[in-house]
Amino acid sequence: MNISGILVVVSPSDFQTAVSALGALPHVDVHHTDHRTGRIVVTQEAETVNDEVEGLKRIKALPFVAMAEMVYHYLDENGPTAGNKPAGADGAVSRVDVPASLNE
Amino acid sequence: MDVTRRDFLKTSIAASTAAAVGMPLSQSVQAQAGAAEEGWQWDKGVCRFCGTGCGIMIATKDGRVVATKGDPDAPVNRGLNCIKGYFNAPILYGEDRITRPLLRMKNGKFDKNGKFTPVSWQQALDEMEKQFRAAYAEKGPHGVAVFGSGQYTIPEGYAAAKLMKAGFRSNNLDPNARHCMASAVVAFIQTFGIDEPAGNYDDIEYTDTAIAWGANMAEAHPILWARITDRLLSHPKMKVVNLTTFKNQSSNIADLEIIFKPGADLAIQNYIAREIVTRDAVNHDFVKKHCVFATGPYDIGYGMRSTDKYAFPAEKDIQAKELKVTLDKYEAIGQRKKVGQVVEQNNTKKPVKHWLISFEEFKKGVEPYTLDFVAELAKGDPDESLEDFKAKLIELADLYIEPERKIVSFWTMGFNQHYRGSWVNEQVYTNHLLLGKQAQPGNGAFSLTGQPSACGTAREVGTFAHRLPADMVVANPKHRERSEKLWKLPAKTVNPKVGSHITKILRDLEDGSVKFAWVQVNNPFQASGNANHWIQAARKQDNFIVCSDPYPTVSAKVADLILPTAMIFEKWGLYGNAERRTQAWREQVPPPGEARSDVWQVLEFSKRFKLKDVWGEQKVPGLKAAGFEDGKLPDVLAAARDMGYSPDDTLYDVLFATPANRKVKWPDPVAKGHGNSTVDALGDGWFAEKALFNEYREFGLNFQHDLADFDTYYRDDVRGLKWPVINGKETEWRFNEKYDSYCKKGSGFDFYGKALKALPTGNLDKVTDPEKTKLAGKAKIFFRPYAAPPEQPDDNYDLWMSTGRVLEHWHTGTMTRRVPELNRAVPTAQIFMHPADAKARGIKRNDVVWIESRRGKVKAVLETRGRNTPPKGYTFVPFFDEGVFINKVTLDVTCPMSKEQDFKKAAVKVYKA
Repeated sequence: MNISGILVVVSPSDFQTAVSALGALPHVDVHHTDHRTGRIVVTQEAETVNDEVEGLKRIKALPFVAMAEMVYHYLDENGPTAGNKPAGADGAVSRVDVPASLNE
Repeated sequence: MDVTRRDFLKTSIAASTAAAVGMPLSQSVQAQAGAAEEGWQWDKGVCRFCGTGCGIMIATKDGRVVATKGDPDAPVNRGLNCIKGYFNAPILYGEDRITRPLLRMKNGKFDKNGKFTPVSWQQALDEMEKQFRAAYAEKGPHGVAVFGSGQYTIPEGYAAAKLMKAGFRSNNLDPNARHCMASAVVAFIQTFGIDEPAGNYDDIEYTDTAIAWGANMAEAHPILWARITDRLLSHPKMKVVNLTTFKNQSSNIADLEIIFKPGADLAIQNYIAREIVTRDAVNHDFVKKHCVFATGPYDIGYGMRSTDKYAFPAEKDIQAKELKVTLDKYEAIGQRKKVGQVVEQNNTKKPVKHWLISFEEFKKGVEPYTLDFVAELAKGDPDESLEDFKAKLIELADLYIEPERKIVSFWTMGFNQHYRGSWVNEQVYTNHLLLGKQAQPGNGAFSLTGQPSACGTAREVGTFAHRLPADMVVANPKHRERSEKLWKLPAKTVNPKVGSHITKILRDLEDGSVKFAWVQVNNPFQASGNANHWIQAARKQDNFIVCSDPYPTVSAKVADLILPTAMIFEKWGLYGNAERRTQAWREQVPPPGEARSDVWQVLEFSKRFKLKDVWGEQKVPGLKAAGFEDGKLPDVLAAARDMGYSPDDTLYDVLFATPANRKVKWPDPVAKGHGNSTVDALGDGWFAEKALFNEYREFGLNFQHDLADFDTYYRDDVRGLKWPVINGKETEWRFNEKYDSYCKKGSGFDFYGKALKALPTGNLDKVTDPEKTKLAGKAKIFFRPYAAPPEQPDDNYDLWMSTGRVLEHWHTGTMTRRVPELNRAVPTAQIFMHPADAKARGIKRNDVVWIESRRGKVKAVLETRGRNTPPKGYTFVPFFDEGVFINKVTLDVTCPMSKEQDFKKAAVKVYKA
């Protein structure tokens, strides 16, 4: 589970439309808005990194969005830790010692 | 995760996000920010991807990175972060992370044809030492090479440069940054006598106009594009222009989009120059006081080999242009010559030479670049009318020329990766200098970079084949002497012969003149053009390739030994971004398994060599320099003895763990509880990264490149500083007396860079008076003509093909493709093509197609819609995907001056697979 905090900037004239449209997107919640500057903070939940990327692209593609960028990225605290499991007896920590693609 | 926890997290993340970007929040919302972060430790860091240099905050918990966010205090990104920044944490945790040294072995020992097998560090370094010694003994210092990087931290680049240049006496160290900004560097040195931009990113908030020249900033530099978007929304006078060879996302907010033909940027800039001159818009006062006019030879080739001995049969016709060029109509007009004239390329060895010309000669040079001529040559979209295109060119010139309008020109790879990259870089300064719109807030030509420390390390430390730290060069005896003094080396230790640039290292492997190569922090075997040659070269039976890599890249796969390597937040480091800002971070988590930092790897390898192994007489074929016997570096061991060294001292003792450096102790209060795996693995108690930085800093002090001291960059209230840092104060705009204390008092502007500041005088064609004029304080306004791309579509290869980046991937995808789901979602990079071109070839969207050039072919999926929409006759392929190994198709043509490859202008045919 990944959660991102995203800043969306829209033109103030489209503000209400934008807030409704963003709120209607699945896995997106509108949290904070600032009509004066056209800024909207949303969170986006995604199972996978790809969903996260596609989700942001979907927001960027909305017609009234001038800018949308991620600000905050939360990675599941219980996600895979292949990188830094404590060393085993032979010093090997990776799930595989030799990534298969190397000897293809 | 249960719903309550999830909602709690989301509320907290939203509050932190709003706080990071400075939205007004109520007290109760403020309290929510950080609520979910119990037990997390936050620290400042720098994004590891492009050259923008965004500040990020990193949260760790139990030795793992759990979150990152844009740093609200970072002046570069002010709390924002882009999708590439998202990958800073996940890249550490890819499934196929390499955590042990891997050596190709058969029957228990090294075998070039063996399979990768885990070995101990001891075994790995033993084999590496053996192979290095064999190559060094056979070929001398230039028979070994290091592929360096614009992603090196400053201490990493410095350690590699010192080991190669001071220890092994070899200049065969060259970074992937060569392919990124070498053309920009040549233009900086030739124009200003010193590298790197005058301005900074704050120009965006001061300017009225942003011109993107062949730079799709919306995808490649999204945070800077966000600042430009912000300016556009808040400043009614603001205009944005996107000059490009195909419609891309940067066109979305642009007021003006100009689609031009590949290579025609050279002509468009001369059209602007001509308009400035003919409308008498030259800022004569500025030009008279601060500028001179200059030009150089046109017959400089295209940076290819001068022989066709190694060329594939199909590429010989292009290679032949290295020696002779038949001028086409546009070149002939643009160079004041005859159509069909055959021009022998007589200046391929000295392409950078140049001389002063008069303003009258300059005017003569730009005279042919009329609106009619340039529009016909440059119009890139066959579906656009010539009249519409002309109107756009006029509008562009108007924007530059409008007296009260501030203007910033931005560019990256469109200019830099160009067969005349140095020329087109110089031309952009030409126009800004003619108008006097340079080195002032909101006014200036601003070269962006693509890598996080292309400036900070590759350029400033000088990890190039011709460079030393602080803009010094190996060919200059005074610079060698100064370096030898600072490095405490005997005179004539440093090799005066320029080493091989990165493309030449690959060619050297192919022709057998380099037999040992070490790849550090880059992926040259995927990232270099005309790759079929280099893959074959790497697998030749008599060379040895070492690749330090966290992941199984193409370069790791073709190597003989892979060294598991620590990544960004698994080590201490400093980077320097495109606006001269040096930024630092601490080690946040230890590297996995047996992975070690590049600093450790370089230092550990240096322990294996004694002075007597390398400081005796050495052969360097082709070396010719005053004070040196031809083809030889002298024995300096006796002089070393006089300095108190013993021939049995190791390079580790003499270059790195020096008495002064050993006084820089670990632990150090600057660590604030953070670890240092490099120091732990070295085991002798000195703080390597800090000591190396201190030593490196000496090169720039009072030498126009002053950096602050190490601890300053780690202060909580510092988010990087733009050099030169004088008395703790950074420099906002260089060469402008108001901001830059290096400027002479009363000068107003002082282009004080010291390089190439004495020139002979001549006309547009040649030197007429060899006596040199001194040019202290002046910038040069270059005339450079249009030259045609050496390869263009013809009946057989009938389409243009350019490569580049997309938003969510970076470079060769080594890091942004590590996350398995992302790989699946974008199974192969696409080729973007105009629907009419697809139809004419009987292919349709989502078909798998072959892309074939004279040099190789690859398969990709056809895309005729979406974010990139090329004009008819043009295609675009991203280069992130090793599954679509597009560099098998591209050329190894380079700008002859900068030696940077042109990845943007290949001719291909595309057909159904």
